[in-house]
Amino acid sequence: MSELRKTVLHGRHVALGAKMVEFAGWEMPIQYPTGIVTEHLKTRRFAGVFDVSHMGRFVFRGSGALAFLQHVLTNNAAALDAGQAQYTMIPNEQGGAIDDAYLYRFVEDEYLLVVNAGNRKKDWDHFQAMRAAFGQVEIRDESEVMAMISLQGPLSKSVLSNVLKSGTLPEPKRNALGIVEIAGARVLLARTGYTGEPLCFELFVDREAAGPLWDLLVAQGAAPVGLGARDTLRLEAGLPLYGHELGADQEGRDIPIFACPLAKTTVSFSPLKEEFVGRAALQRQHEEFKEFLLHDEAPRSVLPRIIRPFAMAEKGIARAGAKVLPAAGRNITGYVTSGTMVPYWKTAGGKLATRFTDEVGMRAIGLALVDSRLGVGQPIRVEVRGRAAEAVLVPFHLRSEAAPYARPVLHDSPEAKGPAAPAAPTLDKVQMLLDMAAENTIWRQRECLNLIPSEMTTSPLVRLLSVMDPAFRYAEHKQVRAFYNAEIFYYQGTDFIEEVERMLEDELRTYLGCTQVETRVISGQMANTAVFSALVDCASQIDHTVERRRLRQVLNHPILHGGHLSAQPMGALRDYIARDPKTERPAVVHFPTMPCNPYRTDVAACGELLERTRPELIIFGKSMVLHPEPVREIRAMVNELGLRTVLMYDMAHVLGLVGPHFQEPFKDGADVVTGSTHKTFFGTQRGIVSMCSQPEDARWPLWEAVRRRAFPGSVSNHHLGTLLGLLMAAYEMNYFRNEYQTQVIANAKALAKALKRCGMNVAGDPALGYTQTHQVLVEVDYAKGPEVARRLEESNIIVNYQATANEEGFTAAGALRLGVAEMTRFGMREADFDPAAEMIADVVLRNRPVKDAVRTFRRKFLDMKFCFTGNEIETRMEQLHRLI
Amino acid sequence: MLPGDLKYAKTHEWARLDAGANVVTMGITDFAAEQLGDIVFLELPKVGGKATRDTPLGAIESVKVAVDLYAPVTGEVVEVNAPLADNFETISRDPYGQGWMVKIKVADAGVLSGLLGPEEYRKHTESEAGH
Repeated sequence: MSELRKTVLHGRHVALGAKMVEFAGWEMPIQYPTGIVTEHLKTRRFAGVFDVSHMGRFVFRGSGALAFLQHVLTNNAAALDAGQAQYTMIPNEQGGAIDDAYLYRFVEDEYLLVVNAGNRKKDWDHFQAMRAAFGQVEIRDESEVMAMISLQGPLSKSVLSNVLKSGTLPEPKRNALGIVEIAGARVLLARTGYTGEPLCFELFVDREAAGPLWDLLVAQGAAPVGLGARDTLRLEAGLPLYGHELGADQEGRDIPIFACPLAKTTVSFSPLKEEFVGRAALQRQHEEFKEFLLHDEAPRSVLPRIIRPFAMAEKGIARAGAKVLPAAGRNITGYVTSGTMVPYWKTAGGKLATRFTDEVGMRAIGLALVDSRLGVGQPIRVEVRGRAAEAVLVPFHLRSEAAPYARPVLHDSPEAKGPAAPAAPTLDKVQMLLDMAAENTIWRQRECLNLIPSEMTTSPLVRLLSVMDPAFRYAEHKQVRAFYNAEIFYYQGTDFIEEVERMLEDELRTYLGCTQVETRVISGQMANTAVFSALVDCASQIDHTVERRRLRQVLNHPILHGGHLSAQPMGALRDYIARDPKTERPAVVHFPTMPCNPYRTDVAACGELLERTRPELIIFGKSMVLHPEPVREIRAMVNELGLRTVLMYDMAHVLGLVGPHFQEPFKDGADVVTGSTHKTFFGTQRGIVSMCSQPEDARWPLWEAVRRRAFPGSVSNHHLGTLLGLLMAAYEMNYFRNEYQTQVIANAKALAKALKRCGMNVAGDPALGYTQTHQVLVEVDYAKGPEVARRLEESNIIVNYQATANEEGFTAAGALRLGVAEMTRFGMREADFDPAAEMIADVVLRNRPVKDAVRTFRRKFLDMKFCFTGNEIETRMEQLHRLI
Repeated sequence: MLPGDLKYAKTHEWARLDAGANVVTMGITDFAAEQLGDIVFLELPKVGGKATRDTPLGAIESVKVAVDLYAPVTGEVVEVNAPLADNFETISRDPYGQGWMVKIKVADAGVLSGLLGPEEYRKHTESEAGH
């Protein structure tokens, strides 16, 4: 093996007792003494560290670099800002892959492309042959001067955090990049990998620094993993390997890029790419692919076979090259491209409480290039040592969306079927339902500490009104210009509800300090949707013959910084936001946050952002909210820049706090306020849209559009019972507003301080009493949020688990979100939060159940406050009760 | 250390003759187990079936590879070590003892001629490892 190349870590592999093999001209560790199975399992449960220095690393610089990369790669390199990476293909003219690669842009003026070790020379020669037409492009092969280490698995983040000297980890999104210092060396750090792990990092360092870095990671507990487990991990994750799922197939033909599930996502036809290599062929593949997604019978001339995951349904291990046969018949329908037996941790618990046990299972799985007409769930047969063994096409083997773990998905798991409904005679079921409803109401209303910030118990009066007639009626209505803009109803018997709606609008106008309120939307999310739809409507007013234009640029809070789901492209904004032509992603930019306080907007940094992005819409408001929004400051900036931006404030969480104690949105300059009426507000579960505009104002057409998009745009019947209830809640709110709002905010500060005194990690600024709203945010350990929240529930303390800005989604949540509004309503005052905090700390810090103590405590707070009482009220309530 | 009382095939099986009963016990060598790595699958022949020298009798698979198990002798399969299928680690832990795989009834005691002795087999593995 003397002529084989050795990575800078070679000596360490040998010293660790690795079995060294030849791989693509390199002498590499196939496994360490623990073996492939153990290395695989350790990566999935703890962390694995891989030497991937054998891979090719090319650096591109110069004024022609971007144009060159756009030409020789399939993905849209122009979409990368500094600090971002993307998976990409090096295509040939026929739409096949010369190689697959990862493109990193760590710094503004340089691109780093990582290619397969076995293709390094081929790729290099290809690039050299193509570069002439692209002006100034400097290409350097830095494979030997730079080493590359991959760190993958649920503990990879804590391993890195422990060794980080300076800098911070890249934001918790796949393909995010950062530059940090570890052990005195500059490390280029990427959230990328080849294992399917949601927590994954790849590190690039100077050759000399690689050894100490490796030692440090191993000392922190990362298990060295060889090429053997690297292959089983990537196979389980369904990731392609060049030479198997990409390149030439069994019969020597190019595998089309669109035949490979992940590879096809790398192809961009952005106009910014112009005529890139293979574009025409890829476009044909793309067209055909779209067709056969729509019709099973669509022709398959360029994509006769595609890569699909399969699982063996009987004993036997499928290996690469094995023939795939249909369930019946002898015509070969494809070939296995990769296959082996992989281990997995067996789980227990189910749903969010799913956890790995210490038991290991094995499953024979693979990827196959099969007839593209065969779909998921299709039984197939795979040749295993001369015998046709039964197998089944599956959608995936592993899911990465529930951080911090990659979760195995077994094709024959009983969990997939879900529990069956119990069989019982109907009358038994009726009684059971009634008993369960009573039990649940007693539990939540009398025995629990309800601390979910988005919830509120309505007063008995509000509840009663919500079930009275007209709860079952229709009252569609629309302004008609022919009748001097009168609201014309489509149904009869609606006079009462017309009156209620008018009175409700009046009350809410008074409450919000505005001139228009739309009350027909039945949720906060629907309120936002109606506004987005109205904005799109207004933007396209001039020409109704063309497709309505979507919003070109929106500024909002991202979800991990507490932004509302309903302000995101994944939520209500989805169908109303345009794609940014450069990034090909929804055209949303995010409010910057203070480096020292991620819950606070960095107002100073907004000026440049506004000037650069000129958003059409700014969405204030968060669901994890500790501070008022900088509406006044942003309004001034927008005016200064002469922008026509609409300022919308989604006050869902803080609608009940509107006023001098918290924030007055219209005084601060908001154009539109939306909200849900049942969080800090006293109402039934509904939404509202409000504006402060007159018929002669520039914003008046937007108001008219909001009315249209509420009805007929969003609702037909608008839940008239809860509308009636909401009117009573609005009376309550206007009457008790000052007293209630003062108490809620004082209570939240009291809870925050008490929790801090109990030794809990309370987020926010101590100088402000941690919070200026009804919410308190408490950090528990990383990814422990769901488990801690469940333990609290077992002790009758009901809270939300919450992911913070550093966490990879809700399953990795490391915080709790608590709100005091509901318990304030039940009469809790500042001092009452001391014992409440003690009980919370008992559960969270000491794992001590406090269910009985909570029950006893709650008995003191059973009577609803801030609502109307007295004999006249009681008499009328009884009358209403008798009418049900 | 290779047991001195066994015979070895170039395909890395070992064979032990119980002369009184004319039964040959076979398994795979320590070297083979080490080369395979984590064993994840084992297919043994049916009792009563025929074993033919130098032809596949079963299969053994690790994560990385599948290899055939060759019969070192010709005869009839009289017993297989079925519990191995649940304890693959036995094969690498005790390849010449509890890790045995198949017992084959042979016609006469001369069947082991042509197999390698321990020293010859050791040389053979060294030449293979050198590749």
